[in-house]
Amino acid sequence: MGQGTGWMPEAPAPPTGSFLRLFRAAPFRLTLLTLALFAFAGAVLMAYVYMAAAGEARRRTDADIRREADSLVAVYNRSGPAALNPVLVTRMAGERRFVYLFLAPDGAKITGSLAQSPVENFTGAATWVRFSLAGQGAAGRPQSIPARGLQLRLSGGETLFVGADASDDRDFIVTIVRGLWGAGALLVVLGIAVGLQASRNFTRAMTGLTDVVAAARNGNLAARAPVRGAGDELDQLAEGLNDMLDRLDRSMSAHRHAGDAIAHDLRSPLTRLKARLETALLDAEAGRGDARLALGQALDDTDGVLRTFSAVLSISRLQAAGEAPNAVRFDPAAMVRDMTELYGPLCEDKGLEIASDISAGLAVRGNPAFLAQALANLVDNAVKYTPAGGAIRVRLRRMASSEVEISVTDTGPGVATADRDRVVQRFVRLENSRNLPGVGLGLSLVAAVAEAHGGRFELGDGPGVFDGSGPGLRAAVVLPSAP
Amino acid sequence: MKILIVEDDQPAAEVMARGLLDAGHACTLCPDGLVGLEAARRGSFDVMIVDRMMPCLDGVGLVETLRRDGDETPVLFLSALGEIEDRVTGLRAGADDYLVKPYAFAELIARVEALARRRETGSVLTFLRVGDLEMDLIGRKVQRAGREIDLQPREFQLLEFLMRHAGQAVTRTMLLEKVWEYHFDPQTNVIDVHISRLRSKIDKGFEHPMLETIRGAGYRLDA
Repeated sequence: MGQGTGWMPEAPAPPTGSFLRLFRAAPFRLTLLTLALFAFAGAVLMAYVYMAAAGEARRRTDADIRREADSLVAVYNRSGPAALNPVLVTRMAGERRFVYLFLAPDGAKITGSLAQSPVENFTGAATWVRFSLAGQGAAGRPQSIPARGLQLRLSGGETLFVGADASDDRDFIVTIVRGLWGAGALLVVLGIAVGLQASRNFTRAMTGLTDVVAAARNGNLAARAPVRGAGDELDQLAEGLNDMLDRLDRSMSAHRHAGDAIAHDLRSPLTRLKARLETALLDAEAGRGDARLALGQALDDTDGVLRTFSAVLSISRLQAAGEAPNAVRFDPAAMVRDMTELYGPLCEDKGLEIASDISAGLAVRGNPAFLAQALANLVDNAVKYTPAGGAIRVRLRRMASSEVEISVTDTGPGVATADRDRVVQRFVRLENSRNLPGVGLGLSLVAAVAEAHGGRFELGDGPGVFDGSGPGLRAAVVLPSAP
Repeated sequence: MKILIVEDDQPAAEVMARGLLDAGHACTLCPDGLVGLEAARRGSFDVMIVDRMMPCLDGVGLVETLRRDGDETPVLFLSALGEIEDRVTGLRAGADDYLVKPYAFAELIARVEALARRRETGSVLTFLRVGDLEMDLIGRKVQRAGREIDLQPREFQLLEFLMRHAGQAVTRTMLLEKVWEYHFDPQTNVIDVHISRLRSKIDKGFEHPMLETIRGAGYRLDA
C-alpha cells in the first residue's frame, strides 16, 4: 500500500480554527447538554427554596403578631378596656414595628395607628389579613409596604387589630433569590470552564488517535497512538488500535515476504519459459528443430508455475483463515490407508518399501481433503529423498499426550537439526535438493494445514544410520484428539 | 454437442469456444449471468460452462435458479476460487463439476465430455465393453479378447472409470478425484505409476495398446 494507490477516499479536512474544533468536540457538547439539564434542575430547586423561604418568613411574622396580640389580650382580660388603651398608646409611641387599632363594640375607633381596619366583613372569629401600609422609601418617596394583620373580638365586645410590617420578609426573600441567581451564574461559568478543559484533554487524546489513523490510511503502518496511562476508554482504544496496527503490519510484511518469495521462485521458471519460446520461435523461422517438443516443454514449465501459484494460494488462505474450512469429525484411518496405497506402486518402482501402522478408533476434527494433501506431501517428500533400498513407514497413532499423530518416517539422509526450522518456511529447499522437482512449498503447506487444525508440524530423527543410509527423517502432523 | 458458455471474460471465452469448436462442439457465448439464464431457458444445451463470478447474476445464482426450474443440464463451474469450501458451495448449488482457473484446456474438454457422457449413459450399467476389453461390473471380472485379467480393487476402479470415458482424455487430477476421491494436485508422477501398472496388465501381450498417454493432458483408453 503506497502513497500513490489512489483508491482511498480523501480524509475530510479538519476544522481550521482551534476554538471551532474545541466547540465541535464531543465532550464540550456533552458539557453543554449537562449544563442545560443542571440549569433546569437549578431553577426547580430555586423555586422550591423560594417558596420554602417565603413561607417560613410569613410564619415568623405571624408568630410575632400572635404573641403581641396575646400580650394585649392578657392586659385586657386582667384589667379591662380602660387599662388596654394606655398600653396601646405607649406601644404606638415606642414600638415602630406593629400597628394597632382598638374599636369600641359599636365600631367606633377608641385608639390606634390605623384609620380603619383592613378586615372587611368581620364575623368575630380571629381573622388574618394581608394589607399594605403607607410608608416612605429610602429616598423619602411614598411607598407601599406589605403587611400582615390579625383581628380579634375581645370578651367585652371590642375589636382589636394588630398588624406588622412584613417588608423584612420580602428583603429576606430578595436576598435569597439574589444568592440563588449568583449560584446559578457560578454554576454555568464553572460548567463551561470544566467542559472546555475536558474538551481540550479529550481533543488532545483524540488527535493522537486520529493522527495514527490518518497515517495508516496513507500507508504508514509504523505510527502508534500514545497511551497516556490513565487506563480509561481512550487508552483502551489506543491500545486496541496499536495492537491492530501491529497485526496488520505483521500480516502486510508476511504478504510482502510471500510476494518476494513468489517473485523469486517464479522468476526462474518464467525466464526459462520465455527463453524456450524465443528459441522455438527462432527455430521455427529457420525451419529447424521440433516446435512441438518446445511447446510441450513450455507447457510443462507453465504447469510448474501454476502449481506454485496454487500452493501459495492454499497456504495463504489457510493462514489467513486460521482454521480448517468445512471441518468435520472423522477417523483418519481410511485416509492414511488410502494415501499409503496411493503411493504403493510409486515406492515399489523406486525400490522403496512402504508400510503403514494404523491405530483404529481415533478421531480428529478437520478437513479430510487438506489433511490428505498434507499426508500426501509428506509421503511425496519421503519418496523423493529416500534412496532406493530404503523404507517408508506411515503411522497413525495416539500419543501419550492423547494427541493424534500422523507421521511419515523414512530412511533417507534426513534434515540436519539446524535446518529443520528453515525447511518449513516457504520456498526453502536445501542445497542438496536443488535438482529435484518441486517448488519447496510442500512442507510449508503441511505446516499451514497442521496449524489451521490447531495442531503442529514436527520434524525429527528417523530410525538412525544403518548400512550406509540414514539417519532418516520423521515428519509428523500432530493434531488434537476430537472429543 | 451444444455447449453454453457463460463467462464475462470475453477473450477467455473466445479461446475456450475456439478450442471446443475444434473438438467438434457448437458453442453459445453469454457475457453475464442474466443473459446466460435467458439463453439456458431458451435453448437446449448438452453441457453448460459457467463462470462463478460474473456481473448481474453470479454462477451460483444462475445454477440455483435453473435447478429450481427443474433444468438438469450438466453444469461445469469455472472459478478462480480454488479452495475446498468454494468447491463445496459450487457443487451444493447444483453444479456437476468444478474446475479452477487457470486450467489446462485438455482438462476442460475432458471434464465437459465426461459430463455429457454421464448424462447419456446414466450409471446403471452392469457391463462395459471397449473394443475387445470387457468388464463385468457385478462379477468384478475383466477380460481382454477372452483372456481373464486379474486386477487389484483400485486397478479395477481405475479401469472402470477409463472404460466409462473411453475415447476421451482423462486427466490425473480427474483420476485422483473420481477414483481415489481425494481432491488435490498430486505432486509427482504418483498417478502415472498406477496407470503403467494397469497398462502392463491390459496391454501386455497384445499387439494393439489401448491405454495411451496424452502429453499435457492425461490418458485415454480407446479401442
